[in-house]
Amino acid sequence: MSQAVSQATAPVLDPITVEVIGAALSSIVEETGEALIRASYSTNIKERRDCSTALFNAAGETLCQAEHIPIHLGSFIGIIPHIMAKHRVEDMRPGDVFVGNDAYEGGGTHLPDIVLAEPIFVDGRIAAWTVNLAHHSDFADRGHAHIYQEGLRIPPVRLYRAGVLQEDVQNLILLNCQVPHERLSDLRAQMAANRVGVQRFQALCAKYGAETVLAAADELLNYAERKMCAGIAAMPDGTWHFEDVFDPIDTADNMPFKVSVTVEGDSMSLDFDAPDQRRAGINMTYTALLATVYYIVKSVVDPSILPNAGLARPLSVTARKGSILNCEHPAAVNGRLAACQRVSDLILGAIAQAAPEKVTACSNSVCTVASFIGQRKSDGKLWVYLETMGGGSGARHNKDGLDGVHVHTTNTSNLPVEALEIEYPLTLLRYELVEESAGDGQYRGGMGLRRVYRADEDCMVRVDIGRLRSRSWGLAGGGAGGHGAVECGPGVTFQGSVATLKAGQWFAVVSPGAGGYGPASARAPEAVARDVAEGVISPVHAKDIYAFQS
Amino acid sequence: MARWRVGVDSGGTFTDVCLFDEEEGRVEVWKVSSTPDDPSRGIAQGVEEGMRRVAPEAGEKPAAPVSYFGHGTTVATNALIQHRGVKTGLVTTDGFRDLLEIGRQKRPDLYDIQADKPPVLVPRDLRQEVPERVRHDGSIDTALDEAKMRAAAVALREAGVKAVAVSFLYGFIRPEHEARAVEILREEMPDAFISAGHEIAPEFREYERLSTVVLNAYLGPVMRSYIERLTPRLEALGMTATPHLTQSNGGVIGFAAAAGLPVRTVLSGPSTGVVGAQAIGKLAGFEDLITFDMGGTSTDVALLQGGQCRLTSEAVVHGYPIKAPMLDIHTVGAGGGSIAYVDAGGLLKAGPRSCGAFPGPVCYDQGNEEPATTDANVVLQTLNPTHLLGGRMAIRQDLSKAAIQKLADKLGLGLMETAQGILSVVTANMARAIRVISVQRGHDPRDFTLMAFGGGGPLHAARLAKELDMKRVLVPRNPGILCAMGLLLTDLRADFAATKLLPLVQGSIGEVADGFATLVARAEDWFAHEEIAPGDRVLTRTADMRYAGQNYELAVPLPEGPVTAATLDALAAGFEDLHRQRYGFIAEGEAVQIVTLRLEATGKVRKAALPRFPEAGPDASGAITGQRPVWFPEAQDFVPTPIYRREGLKPGNRFAGPAIVEQMDTTTVVPPGMSARVDPYLNLILEVVA
Repeated sequence: MSQAVSQATAPVLDPITVEVIGAALSSIVEETGEALIRASYSTNIKERRDCSTALFNAAGETLCQAEHIPIHLGSFIGIIPHIMAKHRVEDMRPGDVFVGNDAYEGGGTHLPDIVLAEPIFVDGRIAAWTVNLAHHSDFADRGHAHIYQEGLRIPPVRLYRAGVLQEDVQNLILLNCQVPHERLSDLRAQMAANRVGVQRFQALCAKYGAETVLAAADELLNYAERKMCAGIAAMPDGTWHFEDVFDPIDTADNMPFKVSVTVEGDSMSLDFDAPDQRRAGINMTYTALLATVYYIVKSVVDPSILPNAGLARPLSVTARKGSILNCEHPAAVNGRLAACQRVSDLILGAIAQAAPEKVTACSNSVCTVASFIGQRKSDGKLWVYLETMGGGSGARHNKDGLDGVHVHTTNTSNLPVEALEIEYPLTLLRYELVEESAGDGQYRGGMGLRRVYRADEDCMVRVDIGRLRSRSWGLAGGGAGGHGAVECGPGVTFQGSVATLKAGQWFAVVSPGAGGYGPASARAPEAVARDVAEGVISPVHAKDIYAFQS
Repeated sequence: MARWRVGVDSGGTFTDVCLFDEEEGRVEVWKVSSTPDDPSRGIAQGVEEGMRRVAPEAGEKPAAPVSYFGHGTTVATNALIQHRGVKTGLVTTDGFRDLLEIGRQKRPDLYDIQADKPPVLVPRDLRQEVPERVRHDGSIDTALDEAKMRAAAVALREAGVKAVAVSFLYGFIRPEHEARAVEILREEMPDAFISAGHEIAPEFREYERLSTVVLNAYLGPVMRSYIERLTPRLEALGMTATPHLTQSNGGVIGFAAAAGLPVRTVLSGPSTGVVGAQAIGKLAGFEDLITFDMGGTSTDVALLQGGQCRLTSEAVVHGYPIKAPMLDIHTVGAGGGSIAYVDAGGLLKAGPRSCGAFPGPVCYDQGNEEPATTDANVVLQTLNPTHLLGGRMAIRQDLSKAAIQKLADKLGLGLMETAQGILSVVTANMARAIRVISVQRGHDPRDFTLMAFGGGGPLHAARLAKELDMKRVLVPRNPGILCAMGLLLTDLRADFAATKLLPLVQGSIGEVADGFATLVARAEDWFAHEEIAPGDRVLTRTADMRYAGQNYELAVPLPEGPVTAATLDALAAGFEDLHRQRYGFIAEGEAVQIVTLRLEATGKVRKAALPRFPEAGPDASGAITGQRPVWFPEAQDFVPTPIYRREGLKPGNRFAGPAIVEQMDTTTVVPPGMSARVDPYLNLILEVVA
């Protein structure tokens, strides 16, 4: 059948060819992702897998994204249009590779996410783009009042020109990095990944014919759109409002976030309201907001919808320009994930009123981060280490939430203790679930995490934590989850989000628990007994909240 | 006289017994129904019946003539899938008992917020923490608190656990604390099954090691009691040969050793298929193979280069990470029973939902109305439209047609196009699985022969080969019992490893040499235990290496002989070659590290020799039993197609596609554009006509 198709002049598409080519595109982005992770050097990519890979069509629409990290979709959405705006297509050659990271001019959502994009030529024309992103753990200890403090801003420029490395450009980037050696190695891994993408896409075109592949890719966008429409149409029409507060460690106040979700037939619109952008790294660009909406709506409506640009078509997203959720130059954006997480749960809160069995109660709703910077005693070199922590995920209408997992727009692994301690002058003293942190309910929320670090050499640490003053809400009478926190050993004090650690001192980061679902009085006694036995809650808590006598 | 080598593959539905006469080179096969509640019954029955047939003279001791007994088992796998292990306790470094639950802190599905993780095998109240801490350089930060350790053992005993896992941070670098903890546990709970990290998986990355040790403890008593039931049954049949079990690495070890390491047998079943394919490929002269073992609900694929299957040291099996040597076998949830459907967006999908053996595909007429892959083959008439299993089972093509017509209506396509479409979708899923083990590992599938077995492999292999541009398909003589056959074709094998983080510099020669010397000493002990003669012992050394800073290693073979400066040079060159092959670049001037030293110990045993049959000329017409119209996509129509009986095909016979070859346990499709020939071992070889 495929042979018959490739011989035809105009592509004749049937649902089967589309499915077969769709499987091949998924396979390509998975392969590029695997190459990137395995060849990389920095702990953030090789172990924590803070990276993503995707294919785009010539118009800059996402054809397929590997299942790594949802927010990275946002860092991808804008990159091709930004390249097109600055570079003439007719000047592009095979082997050109563009590098970019800027949140306003480079298609990114924060500066550490460096994107490498390479046009794939078939029959002398650009047929598609292979794009990958790696979070380079660098640009540390610079401040977050505005984006100029947050690192080097790179508009899309050529890192390779027709296969030749532009050393000037590379040197300019590396001189602005604190750990240039790691950056160089990771950039090489990103190049290796794109090479896989180019070769595999070209091979696919050789097999089926470029026109068939591209027509099938277009049809896959339509397919995602149809599935999204079908899922939305299954929900009742109406408008639902929800409100929460945003309380990161960098601001003293609780900022109101609001959403109105309107379902009308097979389309959905989401309108957000938030305070004006702040002089802190907590703002998010419109593309980050879009990526967040795409992620959460897909998760609720139908998780099996292909992660491509078609799923966005039935959605309209609005937020006031200059607000935290649609920030403008020169707002700082480094910690935009905290806002993305809060927005994800905000949308769930609204949709819960329309489709209560499809959502979860509020998850930990933050992206808990600890970033360290120091200078090694042995050789005087700078070291930078960043890690993010999971927390509770929200209870479902018929089961408990998950304990200690990454939720929503982020999805990175922890670094093994045995890898962390070999690479950095840090010792991990405890890594555990936080007792009494799960929101009560018929189904309880997930538990938060505690990670206790000891500095073995002097260093600085910065934490991004949230739910300090608010708590993650429950649904249908379920209780709220526990707070986020830092806990300090003797001699350690945090100035806002930053502390200086002397060798031997320790501190802990605590991530929030998640909300419960349904009233506590409806929880099965066996489940309460298990929670007491496992130390999730104390016997006193069981007696007071669940009327349970052990 | 003991002259029969016996291989037994115990599957979910059938227990296959393969009997090989060492004197006459004859292979006999016997099949009995499995007894899933206690598989040892079915095995004993199969051995007894099989032996009585081939060696009736043995009388009341039917298994006395057995000289070798090899067994592939799904006991560990099934206990894991069904969570039927024992109540298990865990002892960890203070502060880290929740690591088992946290894992790598990733959620089970990126987008599905209703998804759950696989169950935690040790609940939180059975996870004990004890004060102790070793550092990454092997120094002791906190000594083991023996009183607290004893209290933990007492608590676990009182909780009634049957097995205990012990895994401390850096136990692989400095095992004293773990070893002492094991002693205390044995004193306090002498009947418990105890597993320790430094014994089961002495390698870095604490979560994956912990998961492995816990699984081993959880499955230990299950495997032990299975072996304790099977051994006397075999002895009662008069068997005196030492029984052996296949491990996930494709090698076999004695029952006693296997009982202590059940975590190493979770791929016991599929690995025997790979071993069988390896041996048959070698005989047929094809050593670069991709195996394609398609069953009812799942399909296993693996890649062999130069006759060797890549060994991985870690994989996620049924949701649980396992650090153990395993053949690099990739499984997809698609097979003959996979159900085809049209999804909400209007695309045709197949699997992973399966109709199973009961009710089975629509054509079985046992109540299922959703078409499976098998129904598509019945409609296309690639499968016999009236009966399966060599005539033993009548089927209803009309029901298959009606079910697929419903899908066709939804898709706006014709019946035959839809049936063919189901096969195209299944083929695309299989091709994706094969890309994982080939393209993703730097191999071009076009350089390989596709070896098809299992009930569905030969039916789909030619299409799959075409999808991947592979030129040749090999269908062994008995595709349905290749796993049991594999057991008679394998050597004894054990793998030993030690993590040693060393720079690749001349100063490391001593440590590399010492590290291997320790592993060799352990291997020699094992050889002695298995009673392998010195001349039959083979040792192969590899080093897992990376650039300092990377976290994934490449396994580089060591040249023979003592470890010298030249050895390290050879390692450096081998590493660069592999890195370039895999990633397309090398980082010149970067420091290279050795991470783990590995030793593969092989004990050569006498293996079944498959008989060669005499050449009988190219004319295959004697095997033709009839003709039926079969729908082929090349013609977009039914084509009159000759049907060959596999048993009638002789060495040298040749015929062109389209053709169908039927045998009791499978059907082979030879599409237009391919030709088939029979080799002296009665393998069927399909090749693209140039």
